[in-house]
Amino acid sequence: MFNNYNPINNIEFQILDHNGKIVAKDMLPSIKDADLLKAYKDMLFARTADLQIVSYQRQGRIYTYPPNYGQEAISGAVGSLIKDNDWLVPAFREMGAMLAKGVTLKELFLYFMGYEDGSKYSKAKRTLPISVPIASQFLHAAGLGYAIKYSKDKDLVYAFVGDGGTSEGDFHEAINFAGVWKIPVIFIIQNNQYGISTPTKMQTASQNLAIKSIAYGVKGIKVDGNDYFAMYKTLQESIKICESGEGPVLIEAVTYRKGAHTTSDDPSKYRTKEEEELWDTKDPLKRLKSYLISKKLWTDKEEEKIIEQYKVEVDRQFIEAENYGPYPKEDIFKYMYAEMPDDLKEQEKEYERFLEWKASRTK
Amino acid sequence: MRYIFKFPDIGEGLEEGTIVEWHVEKGQSVKMGDSLVTMETDKVVTAIPSPRDGIIAAKFGKVGETIHVGSALVEIDMAGVEGEAAVAEASKAESVEEEGAGVVGTLEVAGNSAVLSASKEGVDTSSIKLSDKPKRVLATPVARALAKESGIDINQVKGTGPAGRVTKEDIVRFASDTTTSPTSTGTNSRIVSDEKLVEMEPLSQIRKTIAKNMIQSKHNAAHMTVFEEVEISELDKVRKRYKERYANDDVKLTYLAFIIKATALSLKKYRALNAEMDMEKGVMIYKKYYNIGIAIDTPKGLVVPVIRDADKISIKEIAKEIQILSDKAKDGKLTLNDMKDGTFSITSYGSIGGLFAVPVINYPQAGILGIGRINKKPIVKNDQVVPGLVLPLSLSVDHRIADGGETARFINTIMDYLEDPVSLIME
Repeated sequence: MFNNYNPINNIEFQILDHNGKIVAKDMLPSIKDADLLKAYKDMLFARTADLQIVSYQRQGRIYTYPPNYGQEAISGAVGSLIKDNDWLVPAFREMGAMLAKGVTLKELFLYFMGYEDGSKYSKAKRTLPISVPIASQFLHAAGLGYAIKYSKDKDLVYAFVGDGGTSEGDFHEAINFAGVWKIPVIFIIQNNQYGISTPTKMQTASQNLAIKSIAYGVKGIKVDGNDYFAMYKTLQESIKICESGEGPVLIEAVTYRKGAHTTSDDPSKYRTKEEEELWDTKDPLKRLKSYLISKKLWTDKEEEKIIEQYKVEVDRQFIEAENYGPYPKEDIFKYMYAEMPDDLKEQEKEYERFLEWKASRTK
Repeated sequence: MRYIFKFPDIGEGLEEGTIVEWHVEKGQSVKMGDSLVTMETDKVVTAIPSPRDGIIAAKFGKVGETIHVGSALVEIDMAGVEGEAAVAEASKAESVEEEGAGVVGTLEVAGNSAVLSASKEGVDTSSIKLSDKPKRVLATPVARALAKESGIDINQVKGTGPAGRVTKEDIVRFASDTTTSPTSTGTNSRIVSDEKLVEMEPLSQIRKTIAKNMIQSKHNAAHMTVFEEVEISELDKVRKRYKERYANDDVKLTYLAFIIKATALSLKKYRALNAEMDMEKGVMIYKKYYNIGIAIDTPKGLVVPVIRDADKISIKEIAKEIQILSDKAKDGKLTLNDMKDGTFSITSYGSIGGLFAVPVINYPQAGILGIGRINKKPIVKNDQVVPGLVLPLSLSVDHRIADGGETARFINTIMDYLEDPVSLIME
């Protein structure tokens, strides 16, 4: 399959088209109805939560947040296939995959409220914390992959980066290393068309992002990332490749960030309404929904009902996070060094002054 | 139980926002997540959802008014939450605020004082704020002096400095608020009562910025203006010759491109015109880069994007740059980067109309050149009356920085360049 979709030909692998019709029947993975329905519901839950979080942020109840809206199928497909013992190495727009691993919404809320505990996953095994320094996580993934190979284990690593991250040195180092050592890492680029406001065509002079795999001597493919089936099939093949010791794999999943880069960003400043409307027709959930409805597996009514249930659940976990209680100030400053250096002491004092000033302003 | 919802920092370090539209009425019941109001901020325009279920008991601010982060937006009567439960409910929000305060800077959410006893219902907010103030407020000495001078009771001024200290700026703001706000009692009440006769429109962010900048300039710079006329038949010939050639490359060659070049080259000779004065530090800052701001008229208001290094780039490149910036200006796509670091400005009102004008300096720059409407008129050349093509110029300078002699020499140099356009490429 990877040979048929050599990125040098710039073809995008697709199974389910924009109207929810199967266009590559021979490639359609066999998934049980119940599993497919679960995957759809998981994506719907992630989307419901994502929209709620933006609302909490606007209410002043949570800090800066990077929305997932429109990119759910990529995380969704990973969520369907990742095993407990596989490693998940997220960037910061992979809520669905994290939830599938067992991270709770409450934990994610704590993270975005500034709690260190928000990165302590009580139920999720082998899940790294959200990584904000762009592309640094690819190095962690390469390290994990090398450890797996060294210990002759069978597990895999799923690592994420955005299109902007492909311009970082870490991206290059990680894939180059992974290629040399043939380690079992599935590198996934979520190409959502913009690195903050920089469009992909200004990010690279390459024809596409998957093509970079050729230089590293690893398998690469460009996939319609809004097509759950295409993502699923690609991951299935990638798993086989990695398990046979022929990894790593580089996947460019083409998608669109329907929301803002973060809650501090206004995308209308750098993209057009027409473009947003065009991508709206390619929405991953809309597509899979039309398919499910045509197979009589799902109805609008069921969807409405379940979204209401999801909203209640999201709120419930949010309130729990809101009531988590304060953390000691020392947590921020004390634990990096045995003895705090002067500049850190100065920062701590500055923070105290800030708290005082802020308290006086809210009175 | 009453919950006061304060305008949160929704964009990492915001100070304020402007009310664009209210989505709720007093007495209306709302659910958590329902839109209350749309706010325009420096970063985004967005709806602010309600953080609680309940009934809207009070709204603060009219469309167009500025709300500071941390000031009350609405009060919500929380349904079914009574007494202690409500206090707990409100302190919940408080704890969030404390916990993550360092993460994004000045973010604030409804705090402890967010809960009022029910008996205070309907009380107007200004008195609530006052009752919360200590008797003797913290203030800087200069603020106290200014308040005394202006006959302002400093206890009524909300301080924004460290620890709520009242600063000079707070006094100035307070003074202008009480004299210009149409909602204040007394002299301006007619404006409110005759709303049918007038149309009230909120100030947009851009209009406010323009107003602030204009006042700052007129307040701080000592304006002095000189008028001149320059004959540009030669320049006209050159322009016509290259206009068509450049049109093939999609570049529109305007007079402005030549004027920008002439100005940049002249600035290099008269450094005071490309300078800035810092009176507090007692220094003059002479800039060795020549970035020319061009005033562009857009439907939303005036913007001044900047042509960088105009002394170094060619006239063709300047023309191209003008085109890019005006397209962006018209589409509202200019970024802060496009507008910053200007060292001198040019306004070409003549393309719309007007022979001479007194341009207002783009403070803290030292000068601004106004370009009037080019007109054909008789001129005297070698004692003969002949037809001439005349470009009117108006140059405003900050007389603190530039003296008359230097100003006149500067405009003469610009005129020399424009009269003899070949000289523009000779140096």
